[in-house]
Amino acid sequence: MPSLHQFRSTLLAAALATVISAGPLGAAAFAEELRIGTSYKLMTLDPHYADLNENTSLLSHIYERLVNQDERLNPQPGLAISWKRLSETQWEFKLREGVHFHDGSPFTAQDVIYSIERIRDFLKPPSGGFQSYTQAIKSITAPDPLTVVIETNGEAPTLPLSLTSIFIMPHKTDGFATTEELNSGAQPIGTGPYKFQSWQSGEVLKLVRNDAYWGGAPAWSDVTFRIIESPAARVAALTTGDVDVADYIPARDVEGLEQRGLSVESISAARSNFLQFDIGRDEPPGVTGKSGNPIQNPFRDKRVRQALTMATDRAFLAEKILLGYGTAAAQLFPAGLSGTSATLKVEPPDYNGAKSLLAEAGFPDGFNVVLAGPAGRYPGDSESLQAIAQNWARIGVSVQPVVAPFSVFATQRSNGDYPVWYGGCSGEAVTLCLDAVLASPNAELGTGSLNYGKYQNQAFDEMLAKARTLEEGPERNEALARATEFVMADYPILPLYHFHLIVGHGHKVGSYAVHPRGWTTAMQAVPSEE
Amino acid sequence: MMSTVTGRLSQAFLLLLVMSLIGFVGIHSVGNPVYNIVNIETATAEDIRKATIALGLDQPLWRQYVLFIGNVVTGNFGTSYIYHLPAFRLVMSKLPATLELASIAMLIAAPAGTLLGLLAGRRQGKPADSAILKASVFALSIPSFWLSMMLILLGAIMTGWFPSGGRGPTVSLLGQDWSFLTLDGLRQLTLPALALAIPNIALIARLARSGTIEVESQDFTRFCRAKGLSSRRILFRHTLPNISVPIVTIVGMQFGGMLAFAVVVETIFAWPGVGKLLIDSIQLLDRPVVMATLTFVSVAFVGLNALVDLFYALLDPRVRRSA
Repeated sequence: MPSLHQFRSTLLAAALATVISAGPLGAAAFAEELRIGTSYKLMTLDPHYADLNENTSLLSHIYERLVNQDERLNPQPGLAISWKRLSETQWEFKLREGVHFHDGSPFTAQDVIYSIERIRDFLKPPSGGFQSYTQAIKSITAPDPLTVVIETNGEAPTLPLSLTSIFIMPHKTDGFATTEELNSGAQPIGTGPYKFQSWQSGEVLKLVRNDAYWGGAPAWSDVTFRIIESPAARVAALTTGDVDVADYIPARDVEGLEQRGLSVESISAARSNFLQFDIGRDEPPGVTGKSGNPIQNPFRDKRVRQALTMATDRAFLAEKILLGYGTAAAQLFPAGLSGTSATLKVEPPDYNGAKSLLAEAGFPDGFNVVLAGPAGRYPGDSESLQAIAQNWARIGVSVQPVVAPFSVFATQRSNGDYPVWYGGCSGEAVTLCLDAVLASPNAELGTGSLNYGKYQNQAFDEMLAKARTLEEGPERNEALARATEFVMADYPILPLYHFHLIVGHGHKVGSYAVHPRGWTTAMQAVPSEE
Repeated sequence: MMSTVTGRLSQAFLLLLVMSLIGFVGIHSVGNPVYNIVNIETATAEDIRKATIALGLDQPLWRQYVLFIGNVVTGNFGTSYIYHLPAFRLVMSKLPATLELASIAMLIAAPAGTLLGLLAGRRQGKPADSAILKASVFALSIPSFWLSMMLILLGAIMTGWFPSGGRGPTVSLLGQDWSFLTLDGLRQLTLPALALAIPNIALIARLARSGTIEVESQDFTRFCRAKGLSSRRILFRHTLPNISVPIVTIVGMQFGGMLAFAVVVETIFAWPGVGKLLIDSIQLLDRPVVMATLTFVSVAFVGLNALVDLFYALLDPRVRRSA
């Protein structure tokens, strides 16, 4: 069972070391090429263009960040070796010494300033998807070449976490580099373990080892990413040995791969998929009484939300629909990641209890409801809706599942066309999802961006606000876990599952450490011993 | 002659206009592209609003369309929302891959289909004919994704003769990168080209067969036979030219289709062509790229049709004389 060894703590430290320092030094002796089949498109070479794994996963070979994240999403030193809070609104970062860019120029505080200012001031939407990470930054100065001091607007206790998303580029003296410049011709230059060789957008990315890498020479001499978007084609490429590693393997293909002697590794993704209820409106569309008569919004009643939760067989979704490559969810991130609750558990379905709760809430016969979701966006999305419809039918709630392509679904959802829908949240920290999904919509604080149902819970907002003022660490994680437990007792959403990220690899790769954020990199692949 | 050309051109122009309108309104009614540009799971409402304004999506649709048409007249299809590259350049960069795949597939399909059709037509009712007929019905009715998967299974997984997908190493010629000039590139081309060729072989074979049967029963064929010409000579010198007009038409049409709509084959074989770009862009609602691709395809179709007309004149003296 994958859930047993999701977070193998002892292996974790070793794997972490390899992720951070790009492979054990000894392995450098093998001058081998690694070929990876990935679903990530790599749309642009501008590291600050869009905050999507599609880009950042592959670009993280070339560019690095000040702060890295380990497999529990805790911050770890990257290009910065240490950081401390000087005052409420001031952070100091000490930079790593002796780091050089691929063109030989040394990495200094100027590059950090340049990169942050490029995002904050220069890039205009639709590029500059990283602006939300730099919004809090008021000014940035360099007292000496290896120190930066960041002044923030108000308190920003999680600034290091924000910096885990920002790639550092070498500074230019003549203004900021444009996205067009970076896409066409100009070779991308970073400090990362691999150097850019060539790319064709949506096709291939070729990298070579950076022998002067500060973390020691990387394990692979050449790395070729082939972009293969069709999962069946990725599996075929791995099977025939055309690639050594393939990401996002469909669960149904795992057995076939293992029979052919290929290895498969998986981990719970740092995310969750859930059902959200429209709580804001009196009479949302798509909800009617049993005889088709209009009714008041049933989801405003906590007992209804609780009953629906009790009537949903989440273990079935994880075991049967995701074939075991999923973990039933009771909160937003899988338990074990920082800031999650250790006590929230998924209960087996209790249809009788749910039925009586529903009766108590005034719906002894249930009601009719439209349940909407995207098709093919997440593993098991449309199949789950079918299964949930069957579950809810047992307590008298007749579900009409509505499945649409993601872009259609997203438009309809923000138009408010659905009463209950399937959603997802991911991010570099659980706070991101707590803020986006569960906190009350508040433009000033930037919270509630995914709270399409307009759920509001003032006590929870306050707990979250309090946790936000704490610095990254056990105390903050504890506060977040308590806030999560508090809010989940009100059944604001119905968490379904954390699907697993499945990566397959051939014999050339000894082990591959899947990262919960879903990155696919050569640094995660350790060459086999032979 | 002049009036045919101007007629053709105004037709083409009208076609482009109607196509652009349908494409534009179609993409608009599918959904809002902004949800594919920002990371929907992390973006704030403010991010979404800013991106919407930056892309001009806050404007009413008619104004967006007028702006678009105005830009296209100056040769600017806009910048891809997703790739942030000029849309038309993006389409053109995928063209060599598609062109070589479609050409090789057609180079296999046209001769093979014609030969099989001639053979079947000559042997009407014989076992060879019925075998070819049955095989063509089968080849035409299997879905192309299944055919592609079977080719991968047979050619790559079970035998290991060919790679399972992707495009091989390229050589630069005329400023473009072509993979059919390298040995590995040709190996990579084989399976997808076969997947595209097989249904076309069947289509052309059926067409050639019915043409052959018709021509063979006509007086001039009988006359040739009475003159004592060898049956091979009759077949290739007399029957073939007579059946070639519909075959050239269908080759032209199918070739045009392959340029844009070889989507399934391109996706399964991870072939970085125009069809794959089109379907990806539709999924991501990348309107500039969709519009640039559709425009290119329409122009290609109009061009190919004109070429086919020219071929008629070459092949058929009657057409030549009437013009």
